[in-house]
Amino acid sequence: MTLLATADTEPAPAPASGDVILSVRDLRTQFFTRDGTVRAVDGLSYDLERGETLCIVGESGCGKSVSALSVMRLIPEDAGRIVGGSVTFEGTELTDMPEHEMRRIRGNRISMIFQEPMTSLNPVFTVGEQIAESLRIHQGLGGHAAAERAVEMLSLVKIADPRRRAGEYPHQLSGGMRQRVMIAIALACNPKVLIADEPTTALDVTIQAQILNLMLELKERLGTAIVLITHDLGVVAETAQRVIVMYAGRKVEEASVEELFRHPLHPYTRGLMGSIPRRSATGRRSGVRGRLQEIPGIVPSLREEIPGCAFAPRCSFAGERCSREKPPLEPHRPAHLAACWEVARVAATPR
Amino acid sequence: MAVTTEVAVPVAPRAKSGLAFWLGRNPTIVIGVAILAVLVASAFLAPWLAEDPLAFEPTNRLKRPSAEFWFGTDQFGRDVYSRVIYGTRISLAVGVSVAVLATALGLVLGIVCGYYKRVDAIVMRVMDGMMAIPSILLAIALITLMKASLTIVIIAITIPEIPRVVRLVRSVVLTVRAQPYIEAAIASGTRNLIIMVRHILPNTVAPLIVQGTYVCASAILTEAGLSFLGAGTPPEIPSWGNVISLGRSFFQISPWIIFFPGVLLAITVLAINLVGDGLRDSLDPRIARRM
Amino acid sequence: MTAYIIRRLLATIPVMIVVALFVFLLLHLTPGDPAAVIAGDDASPAEIDGIRSKLGLDRPIWEQFVIYVLSLLRGDLGTSIFSNLPVTTLVMQRLEPSVVLALSTLVVAVLFAIPMGVLAAWKARSAIDRIVMGFSVLGFALPVFLVGYLLIYIFAIELRWLPVQGYRPLSQGVWETARSIILPAFALGMVYMALIARITRASMLEVLSEDYIRTAHAKGVAKKSVLLKHALKNAAVPIVTVIGIGLALLISGVVITETVFNIPGLGRLTVDAILKRDYPIIQGLIILFAGAKVLINLMIDISYSFFDPRIRY
Repeated sequence: MTLLATADTEPAPAPASGDVILSVRDLRTQFFTRDGTVRAVDGLSYDLERGETLCIVGESGCGKSVSALSVMRLIPEDAGRIVGGSVTFEGTELTDMPEHEMRRIRGNRISMIFQEPMTSLNPVFTVGEQIAESLRIHQGLGGHAAAERAVEMLSLVKIADPRRRAGEYPHQLSGGMRQRVMIAIALACNPKVLIADEPTTALDVTIQAQILNLMLELKERLGTAIVLITHDLGVVAETAQRVIVMYAGRKVEEASVEELFRHPLHPYTRGLMGSIPRRSATGRRSGVRGRLQEIPGIVPSLREEIPGCAFAPRCSFAGERCSREKPPLEPHRPAHLAACWEVARVAATPR
Repeated sequence: MAVTTEVAVPVAPRAKSGLAFWLGRNPTIVIGVAILAVLVASAFLAPWLAEDPLAFEPTNRLKRPSAEFWFGTDQFGRDVYSRVIYGTRISLAVGVSVAVLATALGLVLGIVCGYYKRVDAIVMRVMDGMMAIPSILLAIALITLMKASLTIVIIAITIPEIPRVVRLVRSVVLTVRAQPYIEAAIASGTRNLIIMVRHILPNTVAPLIVQGTYVCASAILTEAGLSFLGAGTPPEIPSWGNVISLGRSFFQISPWIIFFPGVLLAITVLAINLVGDGLRDSLDPRIARRM
Repeated sequence: MTAYIIRRLLATIPVMIVVALFVFLLLHLTPGDPAAVIAGDDASPAEIDGIRSKLGLDRPIWEQFVIYVLSLLRGDLGTSIFSNLPVTTLVMQRLEPSVVLALSTLVVAVLFAIPMGVLAAWKARSAIDRIVMGFSVLGFALPVFLVGYLLIYIFAIELRWLPVQGYRPLSQGVWETARSIILPAFALGMVYMALIARITRASMLEVLSEDYIRTAHAKGVAKKSVLLKHALKNAAVPIVTVIGIGLALLISGVVITETVFNIPGLGRLTVDAILKRDYPIIQGLIILFAGAKVLINLMIDISYSFFDPRIRY
């Protein structure tokens, strides 16, 4: 699958300063259901630089998880597939790579951790065995060496008494510990890219920060680039260098984290920010007391081709043009892309 | 957290009603019912479709299938085709009677068990014991102790089928009883009998129909098995099992005596199972898990 | 674990008491004179009286039950009316062929059905899946004797690869035994295969949609290893349960299969007992088979903890 030069191909994202390790171009992933084709990812492009943290934000169903699974080529075959675009890792095209070569990349050069630590570990094998398996597959370690290295990985992710824990089963560990184990599995082979799909969503708030800090610390130590997928702008602010906002399978805005928070250009991004719980006067998060501002309406069905801007039906800025023509993704400020016809009006409106 | 809007995937509205549409989605039921219709018709029309199944002609012993004897003849020169057609009556009668008796008795016991804890403790122990006994041996024991007749065979096959029905009904009753609206009905003083009839009974209908089809299929197989062993329907009645049993000694030279009733038996059981599977899958997915 | 096993063994006692009570009451509660039925139509009154006293029917019912239970506890399953031999002796004489048949069927069925179910689940909705499911539906409908006679006809009479009927004991060599048992094992195993293949497929399908399977793929584990290591071990508990249930069902099938293949095992003992209305033998066999079934269930329950570390006793 090569880059398709279609009319609505996005322009190259903000020029990359460092060297790009993972490059996604015009990625299109579709699911084929009885009620029609779902365009889950509809022309997504981004570059990930060596050692950087890139956040992909959006509501559930915007295609952010599917884009991650597409990069890993883990879309279930009978449900859907990548229908266009390209994914290159260190200059190698992944989308048309034979499965056995792709297997050597998964869990080795590019790793992934998932949202549900409670169900993502195999309940019938010890956690040590689950870490060691990666090492045996990718690094050809023998049984004993792999087991020893698994214990080291457990101590790396700061699990107390790693030797005992290695012999335990997932159900004997707490949610936070299980996510640490998932991180240990993902980082066991020292990958260049770690894709983390909502890694903290299922965890208690107190544990969330610990897990995020652990990921960032290990990233610094091992030099891994991270694609962090989240719906939580709080997480974005704490972790990311660059942010991509996705809506209905497409990228609607991209900028550095400071730039995005200071000058959000897309009405959808503004909507997301509006629904972050603000700090109350006492300085505490008022998540319980303060009422969140919600974006009215629902994420559109991705079954039909949407002629104009997919966000138009929910957008207070939407004009007549918005539902007719797709807004191009264009730089509106330095290194800041947004896909909106009404950027000028949005920027002029105080938040 | 913040963005809580759920993905609502609107399902395109479709006409999902109508028997024709429902049957179209469940082709196994259509096939099963069609086969059963033919079998039931031949059972009723046996006197017109077949000759006397008991008439024997010693000169025609062990004849191969031919234009005159479609399914050949047995060692007494009886027409296997006629015997098999009449055998349809026996098999269907046994299957339906056992299914009706076992589900009816199982329903009563199951509801009572699900409702009265004290009865439950005793009855379920008895059911556990009965389930530990291989059903064919239980039937054999009953038949050995009584004079052989079709009624005794039906009773003997029914008894070992009851425990599974009781367990099924009991589990439905216990699930339904835990529902808040039943607790509310109990709390507001509604009489037990009314609760049973109005709330619990309707919930048992779908699983019972499905279970009934399986009981029916298994009863037909068991009757044939018992007759085959010589412990079933009295030998003078031309049931499929009896026809096969008589063909045992001659199967090397006259395999048709066994083949035709055997195949019809398989087709009948297959048809009933197809209907059962189709009903199970379409009536209520929750039933599937309970079985 | 030991405590659990002891508890479970104790729990089998009431079940076995119910079984004993059941076979005992059967003899006494059936309408008519069981002694007369057992003796047959041509029996003289003296013969009927003889059978009555042999069965102990002339004593008070409670006394009979106490005697019956006490003899069961001593391991005495009763005495045949006709041969006057203890049922246990008769059983021991016929045990080998039946056990060999049941175990061969178990092995054959598991060896064929599990790969079939795994394949069907892996290639769900493909042609292979349809074939396996079709086989499974058919397997439930085919009577043992039809399959048995078909197999004999094809492999013994037409192709002449295998003996038509009969059983060669292990003392004559394992190879000869295997040759004599392979067709019966397949005939009897058909239903069993259908059952195991169906549950394996269903269980594997459920497991394959679990998150940890996606994790395994994300780790770069090869497909074969995902299926056979990560998925199958998780799918094992329902499969093992059904293997246990099926093994108990086999007991009924053994009787018919032995008749088709002329195997001198417990099934033949049963059929001979039916023909002679030798009720004590049937009574003894029921106790024996029920006991075997209860023990199989116990073994299955204990095996769960081997497959799933979350299950601990």
